[in-house]
Amino acid sequence: MTESSSLRTASPRSAPHADRADRAENDRVSSATRSGRPTRLHRAVFQPIGDAGRAALVERRIADAITAGVLPSGERLPAETELARSFGVAPATAREALLALRERGLIVTRRGRNGGSFVSDDADPTAFALRALAETSRVALRDLAAHYLAITNACVELAARRADPSEIAAIRTRLDRVRDDEVAAWRRVTDDTQIELAALSQSARLTREQMRLQGELSPFFALVDTDAHARLANRAALLALLDAVAEGDEARAGSIIRHKIHRCVDWLIDLRESPTASHSERTSP
Amino acid sequence: MTSATASAPAERTSADPVALVTEYFGRAIHSLSSWTGELAGALHEAGGRGAVTTEVLDDLVEPYARRTFDSLDLPVYGAGFIAALDWLSDARSHLAWWQGADRAKLVLASQSVNKELIDYSELEWYRVPQSSGAPHVAGPYVDYLCSDEYTITVAAPVELDGQFVGVAGLDLLIDQVERDLLPRLSAFGSDVSIVNGVGRLLLSTSARRETGDSIRGSSLEGFERGACPGMALEVLTAR
Repeated sequence: MTESSSLRTASPRSAPHADRADRAENDRVSSATRSGRPTRLHRAVFQPIGDAGRAALVERRIADAITAGVLPSGERLPAETELARSFGVAPATAREALLALRERGLIVTRRGRNGGSFVSDDADPTAFALRALAETSRVALRDLAAHYLAITNACVELAARRADPSEIAAIRTRLDRVRDDEVAAWRRVTDDTQIELAALSQSARLTREQMRLQGELSPFFALVDTDAHARLANRAALLALLDAVAEGDEARAGSIIRHKIHRCVDWLIDLRESPTASHSERTSP
Repeated sequence: MTSATASAPAERTSADPVALVTEYFGRAIHSLSSWTGELAGALHEAGGRGAVTTEVLDDLVEPYARRTFDSLDLPVYGAGFIAALDWLSDARSHLAWWQGADRAKLVLASQSVNKELIDYSELEWYRVPQSSGAPHVAGPYVDYLCSDEYTITVAAPVELDGQFVGVAGLDLLIDQVERDLLPRLSAFGSDVSIVNGVGRLLLSTSARRETGDSIRGSSLEGFERGACPGMALEVLTAR
Protein backbone atom coordinates (compact mmCIF):
# COMPACT_ATOMS: atom_id res chain seq x y z
CA MET A 1 0.00 0.00 0.00
CA THR A 2 1.51 3.33 -1.01
CA GLU A 3 1.35 6.28 1.28
CA SER A 4 -0.96 8.35 -0.88
CA SER A 5 -3.46 5.60 -1.55
CA SER A 6 -4.12 5.12 2.13
CA LEU A 7 -4.30 8.81 2.91
CA ARG A 8 -7.69 9.82 4.14
CA THR A 9 -9.36 11.11 1.03
CA ALA A 10 -12.96 11.00 0.02
CA SER A 11 -12.24 9.97 -3.55
CA PRO A 12 -13.60 6.54 -4.37
CA ARG A 13 -10.51 5.41 -6.30
CA SER A 14 -11.28 1.75 -6.53
CA ALA A 15 -14.99 2.10 -7.24
CA PRO A 16 -15.00 0.89 -10.89
CA HIS A 17 -13.29 -2.36 -9.93
CA ALA A 18 -15.51 -2.84 -6.94
CA ASP A 19 -18.55 -2.37 -9.16
CA ARG A 20 -17.44 -5.03 -11.58
CA ALA A 21 -16.76 -7.39 -8.71
CA ASP A 22 -20.21 -6.66 -7.33
CA ARG A 23 -21.87 -7.42 -10.63
CA ALA A 24 -20.04 -10.71 -10.95
CA GLU A 25 -20.95 -11.57 -7.38
CA ASN A 26 -24.53 -10.54 -7.99
CA ASP A 27 -24.86 -12.81 -11.04
CA ARG A 28 -23.58 -15.75 -9.12
CA VAL A 29 -25.82 -15.10 -6.15
CA SER A 30 -28.95 -14.45 -8.18
CA SER A 31 -28.63 -17.73 -10.04
CA ALA A 32 -28.52 -19.42 -6.68
CA THR A 33 -31.58 -17.75 -5.20
CA ARG A 34 -34.86 -19.56 -5.48
CA SER A 35 -37.12 -16.57 -5.00
CA GLY A 36 -35.88 -15.24 -8.34
CA ARG A 37 -35.34 -11.60 -7.67
CA PRO A 38 -32.40 -10.66 -5.47
CA THR A 39 -32.88 -7.27 -3.90
CA ARG A 40 -30.13 -4.68 -3.60
CA LEU A 41 -29.79 -5.54 0.08
CA HIS A 42 -29.48 -9.19 -0.81
CA ARG A 43 -26.52 -8.35 -3.01
CA ALA A 44 -24.86 -6.47 -0.16
CA VAL A 45 -24.83 -9.60 1.98
CA PHE A 46 -22.46 -11.37 -0.38
CA GLN A 47 -20.15 -8.47 -1.12
CA PRO A 48 -16.48 -9.28 -0.79
CA ILE A 49 -15.17 -8.44 2.65
CA GLY A 50 -12.01 -7.14 1.04
CA ASP A 51 -8.64 -8.68 0.56
CA ALA A 52 -6.82 -6.12 2.66
CA GLY A 53 -5.47 -8.10 5.59
CA ARG A 54 -6.07 -7.34 9.19
CA ALA A 55 -2.60 -5.82 9.56
CA ALA A 56 -3.45 -3.40 6.75
CA LEU A 57 -6.68 -2.45 8.52
CA VAL A 58 -4.82 -1.74 11.75
CA GLU A 59 -2.21 0.18 9.77
CA ARG A 60 -4.86 2.27 8.07
CA ARG A 61 -6.70 3.07 11.29
CA ILE A 62 -3.51 4.40 12.87
CA ALA A 63 -2.33 6.13 9.69
CA ASP A 64 -5.69 7.89 9.41
CA ALA A 65 -5.44 9.06 13.01
CA ILE A 66 -1.92 10.40 12.40
CA THR A 67 -2.74 12.20 9.15
CA ALA A 68 -5.85 13.67 10.78
CA GLY A 69 -3.81 14.96 13.72
CA VAL A 70 -5.81 12.84 16.16
CA LEU A 71 -2.49 11.28 17.12
CA PRO A 72 -0.14 14.29 17.07
CA SER A 73 3.59 14.13 16.42
CA GLY A 74 5.53 12.94 19.43
CA GLU A 75 2.61 10.99 20.87
CA ARG A 76 3.48 7.56 22.13
CA LEU A 77 1.47 4.66 20.73
CA PRO A 78 0.28 1.91 23.07
CA ALA A 79 2.68 -1.04 23.35
CA GLU A 80 2.40 -3.82 20.79
CA THR A 81 0.55 -6.21 23.11
CA GLU A 82 -1.84 -3.50 24.22
CA LEU A 83 -2.50 -2.48 20.60
CA ALA A 84 -3.15 -6.11 19.71
CA ARG A 85 -5.61 -6.45 22.59
CA SER A 86 -7.51 -3.27 21.83
CA PHE A 87 -7.83 -4.03 18.09
CA GLY A 88 -8.63 -7.66 18.84
CA VAL A 89 -5.80 -8.97 16.62
CA ALA A 90 -2.79 -11.21 17.21
CA PRO A 91 0.40 -9.52 18.48
CA ALA A 92 2.14 -10.51 15.24
CA THR A 93 -0.51 -8.60 13.29
CA ALA A 94 0.00 -5.48 15.40
CA ARG A 95 3.75 -5.82 14.90
CA GLU A 96 3.30 -6.04 11.13
CA ALA A 97 1.14 -2.89 11.14
CA LEU A 98 3.71 -0.98 13.21
CA LEU A 99 6.45 -2.09 10.84
CA ALA A 100 4.50 -0.78 7.84
CA LEU A 101 3.85 2.54 9.61
CA ARG A 102 7.56 2.80 10.37
CA GLU A 103 8.42 2.17 6.73
CA ARG A 104 6.05 4.94 5.71
CA GLY A 105 7.83 7.31 8.08
CA LEU A 106 4.65 7.95 10.11
CA ILE A 107 6.10 6.54 13.33
CA VAL A 108 9.57 6.09 14.80
CA THR A 109 10.65 3.47 17.29
CA ARG A 110 13.02 4.21 20.14
CA ARG A 111 14.78 1.59 22.19
CA GLY A 112 15.49 1.65 25.88
CA ARG A 113 13.63 2.27 29.08
CA ASN A 114 11.54 5.13 27.77
CA GLY A 115 11.31 3.52 24.36
CA GLY A 116 8.33 2.59 22.27
CA SER A 117 6.63 3.74 19.08
CA PHE A 118 6.05 7.46 18.66
CA VAL A 119 4.29 9.51 16.00
CA SER A 120 7.01 10.94 13.77
CA ASP A 121 8.06 14.56 14.22
CA ASP A 122 7.38 15.29 10.53
CA ALA A 123 3.75 14.25 10.82
CA ASP A 124 2.11 17.61 10.09
CA PRO A 125 -1.70 17.39 9.95
CA THR A 126 -2.03 20.60 7.93
CA ALA A 127 0.26 19.27 5.20
CA PHE A 128 -1.63 15.96 5.18
CA ALA A 129 -4.98 17.75 5.03
CA LEU A 130 -3.86 20.03 2.17
CA ARG A 131 -2.65 17.05 0.20
CA ALA A 132 -5.85 15.10 0.89
CA LEU A 133 -7.90 18.13 -0.18
CA ALA A 134 -5.93 18.48 -3.41
CA GLU A 135 -6.51 14.80 -4.16
CA THR A 136 -10.25 14.90 -3.47
CA SER A 137 -12.51 15.80 -6.37
CA ARG A 138 -15.19 18.47 -6.06
CA VAL A 139 -17.89 15.88 -6.44
CA ALA A 140 -16.42 13.72 -3.69
CA LEU A 141 -16.13 16.71 -1.36
CA ARG A 142 -19.74 17.73 -2.01
CA ASP A 143 -20.83 14.13 -1.44
CA LEU A 144 -18.93 13.93 1.83
CA ALA A 145 -20.57 17.18 2.90
CA ALA A 146 -24.01 15.83 1.94
CA HIS A 147 -23.45 12.75 4.10
CA TYR A 148 -22.16 14.85 6.99
CA LEU A 149 -25.12 17.21 6.68
CA ALA A 150 -27.66 14.37 6.65
CA ILE A 151 -26.27 12.88 9.85
CA THR A 152 -25.63 16.17 11.64
CA ASN A 153 -29.05 17.47 10.72
CA ALA A 154 -30.78 14.34 11.99
CA CYS A 155 -28.80 14.60 15.23
CA VAL A 156 -29.57 18.24 15.95
CA GLU A 157 -33.25 17.83 15.11
CA LEU A 158 -33.61 14.94 17.52
CA ALA A 159 -31.52 16.77 20.12
CA ALA A 160 -33.82 19.80 19.78
CA ARG A 161 -36.74 17.52 20.63
CA ARG A 162 -35.07 15.61 23.42
CA ALA A 163 -32.36 17.65 25.14
CA ASP A 164 -32.95 19.37 28.43
CA PRO A 165 -31.90 23.06 28.35
CA SER A 166 -29.51 22.35 31.24
CA GLU A 167 -27.62 19.90 29.01
CA ILE A 168 -27.16 22.54 26.32
CA ALA A 169 -26.08 25.06 28.97
CA ALA A 170 -23.30 22.64 30.06
CA ILE A 171 -21.99 22.41 26.48
CA ARG A 172 -22.21 26.18 26.16
CA THR A 173 -20.11 26.65 29.33
CA ARG A 174 -17.34 24.44 27.93
CA LEU A 175 -17.43 26.28 24.63
CA ASP A 176 -17.23 29.68 26.31
CA ARG A 177 -14.06 28.64 28.09
CA VAL A 178 -12.10 28.36 24.83
CA ARG A 179 -11.17 31.43 22.78
CA ASP A 180 -11.48 30.90 19.05
CA ASP A 181 -7.94 32.20 18.43
CA GLU A 182 -6.49 29.22 20.31
CA VAL A 183 -6.87 27.31 17.07
CA ALA A 184 -6.08 23.72 18.16
CA ALA A 185 -8.18 23.94 21.33
CA TRP A 186 -11.00 25.54 19.38
CA ARG A 187 -10.99 22.73 16.83
CA ARG A 188 -11.18 20.16 19.61
CA VAL A 189 -13.99 21.84 21.49
CA THR A 190 -15.92 22.28 18.24
CA ASP A 191 -15.60 18.56 17.42
CA ASP A 192 -16.62 17.70 20.99
CA THR A 193 -19.64 19.99 20.80
CA GLN A 194 -20.82 18.35 17.60
CA ILE A 195 -20.43 14.88 19.16
CA GLU A 196 -22.21 15.91 22.34
CA LEU A 197 -25.08 17.35 20.33
CA ALA A 198 -25.23 14.03 18.50
CA ALA A 199 -25.31 12.16 21.81
CA LEU A 200 -28.21 14.36 22.94
CA SER A 201 -30.23 12.87 20.07
CA GLN A 202 -30.24 9.75 22.33
CA SER A 203 -29.43 7.69 19.22
CA ALA A 204 -26.34 5.50 19.56
CA ARG A 205 -26.25 4.78 15.83
CA LEU A 206 -26.40 8.43 14.84
CA THR A 207 -23.77 9.31 17.45
CA ARG A 208 -21.37 6.64 16.20
CA GLU A 209 -21.84 7.86 12.64
CA GLN A 210 -21.33 11.47 13.70
CA MET A 211 -18.09 10.48 15.45
CA ARG A 212 -16.83 8.69 12.37
CA LEU A 213 -17.68 11.57 10.05
CA GLN A 214 -16.35 14.15 12.49
CA GLY A 215 -13.05 12.26 12.51
CA GLU A 216 -13.04 12.20 8.72
CA LEU A 217 -13.89 15.88 8.26
CA SER A 218 -12.07 17.42 11.19
CA PRO A 219 -8.74 17.78 9.31
CA PHE A 220 -10.59 19.69 6.58
CA PHE A 221 -12.42 21.85 9.13
CA ALA A 222 -9.01 22.57 10.68
CA LEU A 223 -7.99 24.11 7.35
CA VAL A 224 -11.07 26.34 7.45
CA ASP A 225 -10.12 27.31 11.01
CA THR A 226 -6.88 28.90 9.76
CA ASP A 227 -9.07 31.72 8.34
CA ALA A 228 -9.95 33.98 11.29
CA HIS A 229 -12.99 35.35 9.49
CA ALA A 230 -14.40 31.88 8.77
CA ARG A 231 -13.64 30.82 12.34
CA LEU A 232 -15.66 33.71 13.76
CA ALA A 233 -18.58 32.93 11.47
CA ASN A 234 -18.46 29.30 12.54
CA ARG A 235 -18.36 30.20 16.21
CA ALA A 236 -21.40 32.43 15.79
CA ALA A 237 -23.20 29.64 13.92
CA LEU A 238 -22.39 27.08 16.61
CA LEU A 239 -23.70 29.35 19.37
CA ALA A 240 -26.86 30.04 17.38
CA LEU A 241 -27.25 26.29 16.85
CA LEU A 242 -27.04 25.62 20.60
CA ASP A 243 -29.67 28.30 21.22
CA ALA A 244 -32.00 26.76 18.65
CA VAL A 245 -31.57 23.26 20.16
CA ALA A 246 -32.12 24.59 23.69
CA GLU A 247 -35.32 26.26 22.53
CA GLY A 248 -36.46 23.06 20.86
CA ASP A 249 -36.58 24.76 17.44
CA GLU A 250 -35.84 21.84 15.08
CA ALA A 251 -36.34 23.83 11.87
CA ARG A 252 -34.03 26.67 12.87
CA ALA A 253 -31.35 24.22 14.10
CA GLY A 254 -31.49 22.40 10.75
CA SER A 255 -31.24 25.59 8.75
CA ILE A 256 -28.23 26.84 10.76
CA ILE A 257 -26.32 23.60 10.31
CA ARG A 258 -27.10 23.51 6.57
CA HIS A 259 -25.71 27.02 6.01
CA LYS A 260 -22.67 26.37 8.18
CA ILE A 261 -21.69 23.22 6.27
CA HIS A 262 -22.27 24.77 2.85
CA ARG A 263 -20.09 27.72 3.81
CA CYS A 264 -17.27 25.43 4.95
CA VAL A 265 -17.36 23.30 1.81
CA ASP A 266 -17.39 26.37 -0.46
CA TRP A 267 -14.37 27.65 1.45
CA LEU A 268 -12.56 24.31 1.04
CA ILE A 269 -13.29 24.14 -2.68
CA ASP A 270 -11.96 27.69 -3.09
CA LEU A 271 -8.79 26.68 -1.25
CA ARG A 272 -8.47 23.52 -3.28
CA GLU A 273 -8.57 25.52 -6.48
CA SER A 274 -6.28 28.32 -5.32
CA PRO A 275 -2.67 28.32 -6.62
CA THR A 276 -1.19 27.52 -3.18
CA ALA A 277 -3.18 24.34 -2.78
CA SER A 278 -2.34 22.99 -6.23
CA HIS A 279 1.29 23.78 -5.52
CA SER A 280 1.21 21.52 -2.50
CA GLU A 281 -0.22 18.78 -4.70
CA ARG A 282 2.63 19.09 -7.19
CA THR A 283 5.31 18.94 -4.52
CA SER A 284 3.83 15.93 -2.76
CA PRO A 285 5.60 12.63 -3.39
CA MET B 1 -21.85 -12.04 45.11
CA THR B 2 -23.45 -11.01 48.36
CA SER B 3 -25.60 -8.44 46.60
CA ALA B 4 -27.03 -10.90 44.10
CA THR B 5 -28.04 -13.52 46.61
CA ALA B 6 -29.24 -11.02 49.18
CA SER B 7 -31.42 -9.06 46.79
CA ALA B 8 -32.72 -11.73 44.44
CA PRO B 9 -35.68 -12.73 46.62
CA ALA B 10 -36.73 -9.12 47.11
CA GLU B 11 -37.26 -8.47 43.42
CA ARG B 12 -39.53 -11.46 43.00
CA THR B 13 -41.84 -10.07 45.60
CA SER B 14 -41.76 -6.39 44.64
CA ALA B 15 -45.09 -4.99 45.72
CA ASP B 16 -45.03 -1.99 43.40
CA PRO B 17 -43.05 -0.72 40.39
CA VAL B 18 -41.04 1.72 42.52
CA ALA B 19 -39.80 -1.15 44.69
CA LEU B 20 -38.98 -3.20 41.58
CA VAL B 21 -36.94 -0.42 39.95
CA THR B 22 -35.23 0.57 43.20
CA GLU B 23 -34.23 -3.02 43.93
CA TYR B 24 -32.96 -3.55 40.36
CA PHE B 25 -30.60 -0.56 40.19
CA GLY B 26 -29.94 -0.83 43.93
CA ARG B 27 -28.21 -4.16 43.20
CA ALA B 28 -25.66 -2.28 41.09
CA ILE B 29 -25.09 0.37 43.76
CA HIS B 30 -24.75 -2.31 46.42
CA SER B 31 -22.25 -4.27 44.32
CA LEU B 32 -20.03 -1.22 43.72
CA SER B 33 -20.20 -0.16 47.34
CA SER B 34 -19.03 -3.63 48.33
CA TRP B 35 -15.58 -2.95 46.88
CA THR B 36 -14.96 0.81 46.87
CA GLY B 37 -13.64 0.68 50.45
CA GLU B 38 -11.33 -2.24 49.73
CA LEU B 39 -10.03 -0.53 46.59
CA ALA B 40 -9.36 2.68 48.52
CA GLY B 41 -7.31 0.63 51.01
CA ALA B 42 -5.33 -0.99 48.19
CA LEU B 43 -4.71 2.40 46.59
CA HIS B 44 -3.53 3.75 49.93
CA GLU B 45 -1.04 0.90 50.28
CA ALA B 46 0.15 1.30 46.69
CA GLY B 47 0.65 5.02 47.31
CA GLY B 48 2.82 4.15 50.30
CA ARG B 49 5.06 2.01 48.08
CA GLY B 50 5.54 4.76 45.47
CA ALA B 51 3.72 6.77 42.84
CA VAL B 52 0.44 5.27 41.61
CA THR B 53 0.70 4.87 37.84
CA THR B 54 -1.93 3.80 35.30
CA GLU B 55 -0.33 0.35 35.22
CA VAL B 56 -0.47 -0.04 39.01
CA LEU B 57 -4.07 1.15 38.95
CA ASP B 58 -5.10 -1.28 36.19
CA ASP B 59 -3.66 -4.21 38.14
CA LEU B 60 -5.45 -3.19 41.33
CA VAL B 61 -8.82 -2.58 39.69
CA GLU B 62 -9.01 -5.60 37.39
CA PRO B 63 -10.02 -8.20 40.03
CA TYR B 64 -12.87 -5.93 41.22
CA ALA B 65 -14.05 -5.38 37.66
CA ARG B 66 -14.03 -9.15 37.04
CA ARG B 67 -15.89 -9.73 40.28
CA THR B 68 -18.53 -7.22 39.17
CA PHE B 69 -19.08 -9.15 35.93
CA ASP B 70 -19.09 -12.56 37.59
CA SER B 71 -21.09 -12.07 40.73
CA LEU B 72 -23.71 -9.46 39.96
CA ASP B 73 -27.14 -10.61 38.81
CA LEU B 74 -27.43 -7.83 36.20
CA PRO B 75 -26.48 -7.65 32.49
CA VAL B 76 -23.21 -5.82 33.19
CA TYR B 77 -21.64 -4.58 29.95
CA GLY B 78 -18.64 -2.75 31.38
CA ALA B 79 -17.01 -2.24 34.77
CA GLY B 80 -14.00 -0.61 36.35
CA PHE B 81 -12.69 2.55 37.92
CA ILE B 82 -12.16 6.04 36.51
CA ALA B 83 -9.41 8.05 38.14
CA ALA B 84 -9.91 11.63 39.31
CA LEU B 85 -8.19 14.13 37.03
CA ASP B 86 -4.53 14.80 37.87
CA TRP B 87 -4.48 12.12 40.56
CA LEU B 88 -2.27 9.52 38.84
CA SER B 89 1.47 10.16 38.56
CA ASP B 90 1.82 9.41 34.85
CA ALA B 91 -1.43 10.54 33.20
CA ARG B 92 -3.92 13.36 33.54
CA SER B 93 -6.87 11.02 33.23
CA HIS B 94 -7.39 7.29 33.00
CA LEU B 95 -10.11 4.70 32.72
CA ALA B 96 -9.27 1.29 34.19
CA TRP B 97 -12.20 -0.25 32.36
CA TRP B 98 -13.21 -3.64 30.94
CA GLN B 99 -16.18 -4.15 28.66
CA GLY B 100 -18.03 -6.18 26.08
CA ALA B 101 -18.63 -9.89 25.63
CA ASP B 102 -14.92 -10.65 25.97
CA ARG B 103 -14.45 -8.12 28.79
CA ALA B 104 -11.63 -6.48 26.89
CA LYS B 105 -9.56 -3.71 28.45
CA LEU B 106 -10.64 -0.34 27.07
CA VAL B 107 -7.87 1.44 25.18
CA LEU B 108 -9.00 4.89 24.13
CA ALA B 109 -6.01 5.95 22.03
CA SER B 110 -6.72 3.44 19.29
CA GLN B 111 -10.15 4.79 18.40
CA SER B 112 -11.17 6.98 15.47
CA VAL B 113 -11.69 10.16 17.43
CA ASN B 114 -9.01 10.55 20.07
CA LYS B 115 -11.13 9.83 23.09
CA GLU B 116 -8.17 10.37 25.40
CA LEU B 117 -8.75 14.06 24.87
CA ILE B 118 -12.36 13.89 25.98
CA ASP B 119 -12.66 15.55 29.37
CA TYR B 120 -14.85 13.26 31.44
CA SER B 121 -14.89 15.46 34.52
CA GLU B 122 -18.19 17.03 33.50
CA LEU B 123 -19.96 13.87 32.46
CA GLU B 124 -22.87 12.94 34.71
CA TRP B 125 -21.45 9.63 35.99
CA TYR B 126 -18.31 11.39 37.20
CA ARG B 127 -19.59 14.84 38.17
CA VAL B 128 -22.53 13.77 40.33
CA PRO B 129 -20.77 11.22 42.59
CA GLN B 130 -17.85 13.63 42.89
CA SER B 131 -19.99 16.51 44.09
CA SER B 132 -22.53 14.54 46.15
CA GLY B 133 -20.15 11.95 47.61
CA ALA B 134 -22.87 9.35 47.00
CA PRO B 135 -23.53 6.66 44.36
CA HIS B 136 -25.49 7.75 41.30
CA VAL B 137 -27.50 6.12 38.50
CA ALA B 138 -26.55 8.18 35.41
CA GLY B 139 -28.38 8.15 32.11
CA PRO B 140 -29.84 6.89 29.93
CA TYR B 141 -27.29 8.50 27.61
CA VAL B 142 -25.27 7.65 24.52
CA ASP B 143 -21.93 6.67 26.01
CA TYR B 144 -19.49 7.81 23.33
CA LEU B 145 -16.51 7.25 25.61
CA CYS B 146 -16.78 3.56 26.51
CA SER B 147 -19.64 1.39 25.27
CA ASP B 148 -20.68 3.49 22.22
CA GLU B 149 -24.19 2.35 23.08
CA TYR B 150 -27.29 3.72 24.80
CA THR B 151 -26.28 3.18 28.37
CA ILE B 152 -26.97 3.53 32.09
CA THR B 153 -23.84 4.02 34.18
CA VAL B 154 -24.02 3.35 37.89
CA ALA B 155 -21.12 5.05 39.67
CA ALA B 156 -19.91 5.30 43.26
CA PRO B 157 -17.26 7.71 44.54
CA VAL B 158 -13.97 6.40 45.91
CA GLU B 159 -12.30 8.47 48.60
CA LEU B 160 -8.87 8.22 50.10
CA ASP B 161 -8.28 10.09 53.38
CA GLY B 162 -11.29 12.25 52.59
CA GLN B 163 -10.01 13.09 49.10
CA PHE B 164 -12.00 12.13 46.00
CA VAL B 165 -9.77 9.90 43.83
CA GLY B 166 -12.25 8.63 41.26
CA VAL B 167 -15.42 6.63 40.69
CA ALA B 168 -16.08 2.92 40.60
CA GLY B 169 -18.63 2.19 37.92
CA LEU B 170 -20.53 -0.29 35.83
CA ASP B 171 -22.43 0.03 32.56
CA LEU B 172 -25.78 -1.48 31.71
CA LEU B 173 -27.01 -1.27 28.11
CA ILE B 174 -30.59 -0.01 27.82
CA ASP B 175 -31.18 -2.75 25.27
CA GLN B 176 -30.51 -5.37 27.94
CA VAL B 177 -32.23 -3.49 30.73
CA GLU B 178 -35.35 -3.41 28.55
CA ARG B 179 -35.26 -7.18 28.01
CA ASP B 180 -34.68 -7.72 31.70
CA LEU B 181 -37.02 -5.26 33.31
CA LEU B 182 -39.88 -4.68 30.89
CA PRO B 183 -41.61 -8.06 31.40
CA ARG B 184 -41.56 -7.56 35.18
CA LEU B 185 -42.65 -3.93 34.96
CA SER B 186 -45.57 -4.94 32.74
CA ALA B 187 -47.14 -6.70 35.72
CA PHE B 188 -47.91 -3.25 37.14
CA GLY B 189 -49.84 -1.82 34.20
CA SER B 190 -49.87 -0.98 30.52
CA ASP B 191 -48.55 2.58 30.88
CA VAL B 192 -45.80 2.51 33.50
CA SER B 193 -42.60 4.40 32.68
CA ILE B 194 -39.21 4.94 34.27
CA VAL B 195 -37.76 8.46 33.82
CA ASN B 196 -34.53 10.01 35.07
CA GLY B 197 -33.84 13.34 36.77
CA VAL B 198 -34.37 15.39 33.60
CA GLY B 199 -37.54 13.51 32.64
CA ARG B 200 -35.87 11.30 30.04
CA LEU B 201 -37.64 8.04 29.42
CA LEU B 202 -35.61 4.94 30.22
CA LEU B 203 -38.34 2.51 29.31
CA SER B 204 -42.09 2.23 29.35
CA THR B 205 -44.61 -0.58 29.34
CA SER B 206 -46.51 1.46 26.75
CA ALA B 207 -45.22 0.64 23.27
CA ARG B 208 -46.12 4.17 22.12
CA ARG B 209 -43.69 5.85 24.49
CA GLU B 210 -40.22 6.06 23.00
CA THR B 211 -37.06 5.52 25.05
CA GLY B 212 -35.00 8.73 24.88
CA ASP B 213 -38.03 11.02 24.63
CA SER B 214 -38.83 13.27 27.53
CA ILE B 215 -41.81 13.61 29.82
CA ARG B 216 -41.53 17.05 31.38
CA GLY B 217 -43.54 20.05 32.46
CA SER B 218 -47.26 19.91 31.80
CA SER B 219 -47.11 16.43 30.25
CA LEU B 220 -46.36 15.11 33.75
CA GLU B 221 -49.89 15.96 34.88
CA GLY B 222 -51.45 12.73 33.68
CA PHE B 223 -49.23 10.56 35.87
CA GLU B 224 -48.96 9.34 39.38
CA ARG B 225 -45.29 9.86 40.29
CA GLY B 226 -43.16 7.66 42.54
CA ALA B 227 -39.56 8.59 43.34
CA CYS B 228 -37.03 5.77 43.76
CA PRO B 229 -35.14 6.38 47.01
CA GLY B 230 -31.37 6.74 46.70
CA MET B 231 -31.35 7.29 42.93
CA ALA B 232 -32.52 9.99 40.55
CA LEU B 233 -35.20 7.83 38.96
CA GLU B 234 -38.96 8.13 39.03
CA VAL B 235 -41.73 5.76 38.07
CA LEU B 236 -44.63 7.38 36.22
CA THR B 237 -47.93 5.52 36.17
CA ALA B 238 -50.64 6.87 33.88
CA ARG B 239 -53.77 7.82 35.80
